[in-house]
Amino acid sequence: MKRANKKGIEMTFNWIFAILAGGFILFLAIYGASKLIRTGEQTVYTETAATLTSLFDPLETGLASGKASEISFKKKSKVYFTCQELYEPFGRHTISFTEQTFGDTYGEKGQEISVKDKYIFSENVIEGKTFYYFTKPYFMSYKVADLLMMYSDEQVFCLYNAPEDVQDTLEGLNLKNIYFPNSTTSCQGTRVCFAGGRNCDITVANDYVLKQGKKLYYTDDLLYAAVFSSPEMYECNIQRIKKRFDSLGSIYLEKIKILERENCQPTLGSELSIAIGTNIQSSKDLLILFEQIDNFDSINQRAKDGCKLYYNT
Amino acid sequence: MDVNFITIHKMKKTKKGDLKIQVLKNPAGFLGLSSSKLADLKIQAPTNLRFLGASIFNKKGDLKIQEMAFMLLGVFLFFILVGLFVLSIAYSNIRDEATRIAEERTLSAVTSISDSPELSCVASKSNCIDGDKLVGMLNKTSYQQFWPFSSLKVIKYSGFGKKEKELITCTFANYPDCDVLVVYDKKVSNERTIGSFIAFCRKEFENGYTYDKCEVGRILAGTELKNAG
Repeated sequence: MKRANKKGIEMTFNWIFAILAGGFILFLAIYGASKLIRTGEQTVYTETAATLTSLFDPLETGLASGKASEISFKKKSKVYFTCQELYEPFGRHTISFTEQTFGDTYGEKGQEISVKDKYIFSENVIEGKTFYYFTKPYFMSYKVADLLMMYSDEQVFCLYNAPEDVQDTLEGLNLKNIYFPNSTTSCQGTRVCFAGGRNCDITVANDYVLKQGKKLYYTDDLLYAAVFSSPEMYECNIQRIKKRFDSLGSIYLEKIKILERENCQPTLGSELSIAIGTNIQSSKDLLILFEQIDNFDSINQRAKDGCKLYYNT
Repeated sequence: MDVNFITIHKMKKTKKGDLKIQVLKNPAGFLGLSSSKLADLKIQAPTNLRFLGASIFNKKGDLKIQEMAFMLLGVFLFFILVGLFVLSIAYSNIRDEATRIAEERTLSAVTSISDSPELSCVASKSNCIDGDKLVGMLNKTSYQQFWPFSSLKVIKYSGFGKKEKELITCTFANYPDCDVLVVYDKKVSNERTIGSFIAFCRKEFENGYTYDKCEVGRILAGTELKNAG
């Protein structure tokens, strides 16, 4: 009886030792494998986000008044955007990507990819299988940037009483999920009202867009940016655009010196310098800035044809 | 096994079962315990016996543990080596992929960069670079961080066919009598450049008239190769 017990103890020790060591190795193997799978998943998501940025390049408008395209994924996906206006030199966006793995659950989002030369106007997170995006050039007397508006197939925009030029522009780009309902047709989606109205999600006034209780001031094609963007993304991009405007302004100041060599006498330098030096805290300050912009633009328009500093067409 | 061993030393011709009784009944003669209680002996006797007399058992046990430890170490090292091998392959793939994406980005950006506000021509020509604006950018370091290239240069027509060392770099002073405008160069150790032909325009005053003089040029954008050994 005693002997059997002793042998039992010896066996038990071996078993305990084997179980502990085996369990440890098994734990390490499972942990390593899951880490490897997670890393692989993250790599794919990060690569997808990086590839997305390349897809935005062909939509630089050049001479065009606008361009549109779409990206489709096999699985339902989420794209996360952030905007940092303080990042040098002209602020930046970060893009990260994830897609559905099992059922309705999304994988952990991939690493953030930095995009410095694009101005993306969208909600902070957009979700869907297809993403639509279009670009519009933005002029602050001279061309400053291409505005890139983005939304997904899960977003529907119902534009009530939209002006003809807005309707022509958006229909001309052949954009999906944007409708112009009238009193007889119905539309289920984000209600964008151009002439006031009840139950509007977004209200467009003469110089601002009221969205989520915030006034986003706009000029020209920034209207589209304000409608499709989250308020914080919009305000951040306005700061970034102003930085780019300043940098371009200093390039044009240098160009004035070159033109002076070629028998031209541009006189808009001082007015341009004032506009460059103007700080803007929010989109509301755009209205003041545009008064200064109009000042130097009128001088440029009056210059003889061969000596214009820039052409805003 | 150890019980038999005790039997040989302590009592001759006894059964295994007797040993228990014998030990219990002889408290004084066992290991110098002269005045201990029975209960103490019950505890001490088997303990001491194992400790003093079971050296073979211990050696054998130690050997088993050593064998197992070595085997575990071997298995552990094997898994670590396999893991390192897998990681090195995966890591090199990531670097290759990063370089591929960067090159793809450079290619897509270089075809559209001539239409960017910094470079585009004043007279609304497509795929055209305004040389007069470009000169204003030569001292600006901010664009190094802005565009996704490791270097950006524009070679004028006058620089075509010349070797790199023969090219005259443009400055604000010698423009337009020069060959290459270096917007920026990060001087990376391993770089692949992609080129695209563009129209290079600038203002020229001739016969009392200022006009846009355009000629062919070439824009070169570099990508840093991260997988260089």
